[in-house]
Formats: sequence, structure tokens, C-alpha cells
Amino acid sequence: MREKIAVLMGGRSLERDVSLSSGKRVAEALETAGYRVLPLDVTPALVETLRAERPDACYIALHGKYGEDGTIQELLEFLGIPYTGPGVTASALAWDKPVAKRLFVDAGIPTPRWITLTADAFKEMGAATALDLVPGAVGGFPVVVKPSKQGSALGLTRVDTAEELAEALLSALSYGDAAIIEKWIEGTELAVSVLDGIEGPQVLPPVEIVAKSGLFDYDAMYTAGQTDYYVPARLGDDTTATVRRYAQEVHELLGCRDVSRADMVVGSDGGVWVLECNTSPGMTETSLLPMAAAACGMTFQDVVERVLAGALKRRGERG
Amino acid sequence: MFLRQERGAEMGTARIVFDRWDGRYARRMAGVRSSAVRDLFAAASRPDMISFAGGMPDVARVPAEAAAMAASEAVLHEGAAALQYGSSEGRPALRVTIAELMAEIGVRLGADDIIVTAGAQQGLDLLAKVFIDPGDVVVTEGPTYVGALQAFSAYEPRIECVPMDEGGMRVDALEETLTRLGPRGAKFIYTIPNFQNPAGVTLLPERRRRLLELARAYDIPVIEDDPYGRLRFDGGHVKPLRALDEDVIYLGTFSKIFAPGLRLGWMTAPHPILAKVLLAKQAADLCGSAFAQVTAERYFAGTRWRRVLQGLNRAYSGRRDAMLSALHEHFPAEVRWTRPEGGFFVWVELPNFLDAGTLLAEAVEHGVTFVPGSAFFPDGRGRNCMRLAFCYAEPEAIEEGIRRLAEVIEDRLGLYRAFIAAGALPEAQEGAA
Repeated sequence: MREKIAVLMGGRSLERDVSLSSGKRVAEALETAGYRVLPLDVTPALVETLRAERPDACYIALHGKYGEDGTIQELLEFLGIPYTGPGVTASALAWDKPVAKRLFVDAGIPTPRWITLTADAFKEMGAATALDLVPGAVGGFPVVVKPSKQGSALGLTRVDTAEELAEALLSALSYGDAAIIEKWIEGTELAVSVLDGIEGPQVLPPVEIVAKSGLFDYDAMYTAGQTDYYVPARLGDDTTATVRRYAQEVHELLGCRDVSRADMVVGSDGGVWVLECNTSPGMTETSLLPMAAAACGMTFQDVVERVLAGALKRRGERG
Repeated sequence: MFLRQERGAEMGTARIVFDRWDGRYARRMAGVRSSAVRDLFAAASRPDMISFAGGMPDVARVPAEAAAMAASEAVLHEGAAALQYGSSEGRPALRVTIAELMAEIGVRLGADDIIVTAGAQQGLDLLAKVFIDPGDVVVTEGPTYVGALQAFSAYEPRIECVPMDEGGMRVDALEETLTRLGPRGAKFIYTIPNFQNPAGVTLLPERRRRLLELARAYDIPVIEDDPYGRLRFDGGHVKPLRALDEDVIYLGTFSKIFAPGLRLGWMTAPHPILAKVLLAKQAADLCGSAFAQVTAERYFAGTRWRRVLQGLNRAYSGRRDAMLSALHEHFPAEVRWTRPEGGFFVWVELPNFLDAGTLLAEAVEHGVTFVPGSAFFPDGRGRNCMRLAFCYAEPEAIEEGIRRLAEVIEDRLGLYRAFIAAGALPEAQEGAA
């Protein structure tokens, strides 16, 4: 029998159901590969269970708050259990969209213009009286308003006119303490996954996303038939090369390991923009990482084993 | 997809047990699911939690010895009959009792116009089974009873919700819906006219007549679900739809006038419909519990149940008053709620941008729970609404619970007010009910 692997899933985040779907598929793949699998929900009994069961590694199939923001990573470091995916710092950086975007800018990776506003700035400082400055600050409408820390596009709204801005901000701020207002780039939406391997990071074929509603929001993501996908994306060679280069740069810049997925847009002028980076990409039947992997001949099980290999290697290094 | 009992089955472990049969269930079950949010917070509990979530009757006010006497008499006096299979339509004696109860609310029936069901809930399931083919349209109030949505959804209909206001279902909106659907364009119209679950509102007498006119004009059966009709605290009795039109299918229950633990309800409908329902019931359970039926016969044989019911109504009425006055005292001006004349529930409408689902997480941390409004719509509407049940907590607890809830809402509203003050949002909130 191979190593004992705890698959962490569920939790109390808003993405619980998605995580349970990801986790179940991961657990099945690991079982098929011969590992002893321990599927675990994130409950107040988690630490006790981990200490009693002493798994060789944890596969993190959690999405959203606590799973993707460095919380579970920090806990597993403390418990001395190796885990899949980026470490504490990379997780925290990628999770905080304004911080990640600032790093992109400093590194010369294009990201759409944005501003960040906190709930306190509205409540305590009257920021709502300055909403007329928004178009000037980000380069005009349309814009996207979204929570500064949240996966799965919950609380995300496209805003075309000044009148819609306040309501979109309220919606985004119902998911967290800060919202970002980002210039909307009209063009081709892409998800570009990176998997670490023996020879360093491998960039998988970009996935092109065409949401039938025009907005790749929560419903479009998880409702069958709402979205068309093209793998590899229908891009020219030069653009493909740029997209792949940015994916790898983002992966390395944030200090990701094992796996990451950058979301990008190719503007109608051909410019490539990086929106954000996900450190615990979805692993459901309609998820983008497994789709990209399939396009270069990898099965779902290959992906799972490849991601797990990173954690097991670190266990070996730890001795 | 998952067995959620893992917490109960294996306390103190985070282990998840997968459903090994996932992927083999019938397609119709995909549309029927419990809310993840509710599962989640059902587990998270603190000792001083005040629940406005469940609509549970206060059975502690039903004298134990009265129930015990009815149950023991059932076995001692009816003997074998109480322990044997019975007829599918239910025991004749109980159906006579039900006919008497119905006469008191203005509906004249014979025992053979009635069948006994396992709660009104079974009636909903059986009606859905005999009427709904996949893709059929059924018309309900929006919001409506979760259990009805669950019962109907299993038969894969398309559910059309008609909006409500303080006077119950808006019959002008019903007319628009029926005009769009055309004659026989829906399999039935489902309504809870008295102290509606979850909205707490009562259908006005003139709207009852109009609803029946429309149903006749468009040739669509009406299902009247009336679990709370006898829990009126003030205002005059309003005649049930069934008293105005013999074609109305009426569902009643012993759950609120005796005890839900007996699982006894009834249905009256035109005989051809009853015959179909009876066939469906035979497939479901052959016959209802004879033991429970005899117990109910005995319990309702005397007059004591009337005093018990009066006592229950006094208690519920006091709790309703406690909730309404606490809402008035503590809730922010931007929030609206209904003022029920009976039943179990108050329906609360928050400003549009507030999501009651995310609010619930905070409320639980503050020691108070409720059911988010989206549970009562088939299509994700009602996100800014919540149902508060006043039936179960004592008045002091209700006051404290509303105070805690107000704190959570107040905190969220700070942001909203900042936008209003800056003129970034229009001041007036649209909204009904």
C-alpha cells in the first residue's frame, strides 16, 4: 500500500459545494492510484483527526477563504504535515488581489488599471462622495467590481454606467472588507494553468472561456451549457507565447509551487492582461485545470499524482 | 452527493463518508436538494442559541396525560383494529371527526369526501405524483412552503411564482401569469391562504373569490393548504377557498391542533381526484397508521382539545406580539416585515443588496438563527429576505434574539447608509409584503 493521504475539502467557505466536488474526484483518483485515502471535512475536529490519523501528506482540495488564503497552509506547517500547492506566503499574496496586482505591475506584467476601496473608507470617510472620480482613475467604463479577496467570482459585477456602481460595490462588500474596481478589458478570457514537474514549471495549454451571458460569473462557471471552452485557446503563435510566459512569470513571482492557474484577458488590440492567480484551482468535472491537462494528454489522475508528488517530495526532504 | 450524517455518526472526527451510490440515482433527485447553508449551520450550535428557524409547534403545551390516555384507550378499547392494517382512505370514525372539524370552518362534507394522509405533506406528494409530468407548469405563491417545493420538485415541474403583498397572493399578477400560460396552462395553483408559510400574510376574502374565478376561467385546479387556519389570534375568520368552491382540493392537518408526531393530515377533493390519489397512496404506504388514527379519534372525542388549542393560541399570540414589538424596537428603519394575524411566521425584507444567506453566518456567531428567504423560492429569489418563526421560543428569548439579529443587520447597514448619504444610491426602497 502506498502513502496515506488526507484530502481536505468542504469547510465553511462559500465555495463549500465546489470544494466537495473537487475533493471527491481527487480522493477517487488517489484511491485508484493505490494510495490510502482519508477524505476530511474542515470542521473543529480537523486537527484532532489529523493528529490521530497521521497522514503522510494532505491534498488541499479547499477553495476560497481558509483553504486558499494561507490559513490551512500555516496550520499544516505548524502540525508538520506536508501539503499540496503553494505555501503560506504565496497563498496569501495570490489571495489578496490588490497585493498580487501591485506585484504584477512592479514585475512588468500588465494588469488592468484598478482602485481598491474598503468598507471603512465608505463608512468612516465618505468615500461614496468620490465615486465620480472612478472612471478617470481606471480609464472609463465598463469596469468590473469584485471583492478584493474571494474566489469563484462571487460578488462580481460588470458595471457599464456610473449609476450601477454603488450597488455593485455593496454587493462586492457583502463578501469582504474591501472591493476592487478594475477596468474591464473587452476580449478573450483565458485560464492558464501551471504544473510543476521534475524539469521545473510546465505551462499547460491555455483554455479560452466564452460565457454565453458575456460574463464568466459563478453561474456560468458551475452550470453546464452556460459556457463554451476552447483548448488550446484560439490565439496566434506570438500571443500564445506571451500568455504562456506570463503564466510562468506569475507562478514564479508569487512563489507558487506544484500548481497555479492565472486568469488573463487578451484585449481586442492583442494586448495580454493578467487579472489574478489562483493557488487552489478547481478540480470538478467542468474545471479549467483538468481541461487544460487533458489537452496535452494528461488524465485527471496524472494531474492529481503530479500535484501530490510535490508534497511527497517535501516530506522526503524534511526526513 | 454526500452523507451529511457523518458528524452525528462519528462525533469528533472530520472524516467525510462518500455516497458510493452517487451517479446511480434517478435524474429527478438532482432537482431535490437540501440547502448546504442550512446543513452547515445546523451543525454549528451554541448553548444559548435562539432559533427562529424551525416552524415547530409547542407540543409541550399538549397535556401529556391527555395524549397518553388517548393512546392507551386506542389499544385497550380498539384492540386489534389499532394494531392492524386499515383502509387506505383512513378510519371512518376519524373521517367523521374531520368532517365535523371542517363544518366548523364552513365546509360541509361527508366522511367519504375525505381521505386521511400522513400529514398534509403526504397530500402534497400524492397530488404532485398524480398531476405532474416532467416539464408541466405549477403555480405557487412566491415565496412558498419549502416542503411543497420539495414535494413538487421531485416530479420535475416548472414552478411559476406569483408575488404577494400584505393581502396574500396578488391576483392581478396571477391573472397575468395565467393569461401568459393560457387555458389549462398549469396543472394546478397551490396556495396557503391563511398565515402563509413563510410570508405570514392572509389572502383577502375578495382575492379568494377572484382567485377562484380565474381558476375556473382558465380551467386549472386549486390546491388549498391550510395548516394554520385555526391558529388565528385576532381579526375575524375568513372562509376557506373550499367553502366557496367545491372543486378546490383542500389539505388539512392535525399537526398544529394536536401533534405533528402523529403524522396525520387529510385531503378533500372531487371524487375522481380522490380516487387517483388513493391509488397513489396505496403504492406509497397501503394505508396510514391505524394506531395514530384511533389515538386522534379519542383525543378529539371530548372537548378538552379546544381548551388546549386556546392555550396554544394564547401562547403563540404572546410570542407573535413579543416578536413584533421587538422588531419595532430594535430593527433599523430600512427593514420591512409582515404583521401576521396568526400562524407561526414573520417575513422580513432587508434592503436589496443585503444577502440573508451571508448574514446567517454572522447571525449564528451572534447566537441567533433564521431561514434565509431564497429557500422559499424555486429560482434563487428572496436573497434579501428571511423567515422568522415566533412559534417556539419564549417571549424573553424572542426579544433577545431579535436584538442580536438587529445588531448584525445594523452593522451591515452602515455601509448602505454611507452610500445613501453621499447620494450614490436612491433613497426609496421598492418592495412589497
